[in-house]
Amino acid sequence: MSEKNENFEDLKKLLKLKRYEIPPPGYFNNFSGDVVSRIRAGEAGGQSFFERIQADSGFWGNILFVFQRKPGLIGGLATSMCLLLLFGVVLLDHSESGQMATDAVTAEASPSAPDVSPTLASAISLEPSDTGGIAVNTNPVASLQPVTTFAGSSANPLFQPVGFMPASQ
Amino acid sequence: MLTMSEPATVPDPNAPANVLEGDLVRRARRGDLPAYDELVKRYQERIYATIYHMTGNHEDANDLAQDSFIKAYSALKSFKGGSSFYTWLYRIAVNKTINFLKQRRNKHHLSLNDLDFNAEHDPDLVALISDKTPTRDVNLIELQNKLNEALLKLSEPHRMVVVLHDVQGVSHEEIAEVVGCNIGTVRSRLFYARQQLQGYLADYIKT
Repeated sequence: MSEKNENFEDLKKLLKLKRYEIPPPGYFNNFSGDVVSRIRAGEAGGQSFFERIQADSGFWGNILFVFQRKPGLIGGLATSMCLLLLFGVVLLDHSESGQMATDAVTAEASPSAPDVSPTLASAISLEPSDTGGIAVNTNPVASLQPVTTFAGSSANPLFQPVGFMPASQ
Repeated sequence: MLTMSEPATVPDPNAPANVLEGDLVRRARRGDLPAYDELVKRYQERIYATIYHMTGNHEDANDLAQDSFIKAYSALKSFKGGSSFYTWLYRIAVNKTINFLKQRRNKHHLSLNDLDFNAEHDPDLVALISDKTPTRDVNLIELQNKLNEALLKLSEPHRMVVVLHDVQGVSHEEIAEVVGCNIGTVRSRLFYARQQLQGYLADYIKT
């Protein structure tokens, strides 16, 4: 396998041709400048926004990095947030209306309850003199709520539940 | 303008310039970019030439050479000084080039640089294209194309050894250090690669 056993002299002469292949004139004049510019750009801000955030912060940076790699997660999270917000609004609405109905019933059961304001009390119960001794619940929110029966069907909302109670003397 | 009429040689560790190299490396490790710029200028031609001879494509060689220097800068803190900076840099360029060629396998596209004017006056090349030596008439441009096509037929490890030794003039020992194998492997790869090339270029050389 020694080189002496093979005559590669002509091949070596031919390979010398490779040394005469030269890059375009002036190519190396800017080469080191380009390298240094790319290094500076990488140090100063060549990184993407997400990469910089990830480098600067820990947990939140990692979350942003996950979002960068899986953009679909952003849409999923936004949808979840909207649904959660909507659910919260509906729940709040229901709880307020339920509270108002409870207040109305409480006010009717004990008109002298101190926590019922005069305005609200006057709004939800009529004076006995006006109704001939019968107090009528005119609260639209409480009266229009559908009533669910044990069978699961809702009662007709056109029926207005009316509370009858003896007028206080 | 660069002329590659002389083979690149491995820097002598005892040369005065190498004392300065250590200083440049230390400064570059501290983030001194002008010092690194000096190192790039020192080795840009040899690193570019090696990659160019491996890829046979100027654009690829340009990108890979720049990437090699940038990677070397970012990895400078891990440079322990066990080998010379030049060998370490060469290893980065060689690995980057081989990885690139593996990904680009069977998608070779020659984009050769022009030949230097002096090639026409090289006595060895003149002898090769004279009517005595070759079995058919060729000019230098055709010979250049055939030679590059033949080189691209070699496997990357074999091509690398031929390029480093027969074109760049790097010693067997240095090649072993750069490529990461023993000297015997370098010699056997060189022998096999030359045999292969001789077969591919049989019409252009006297055997």
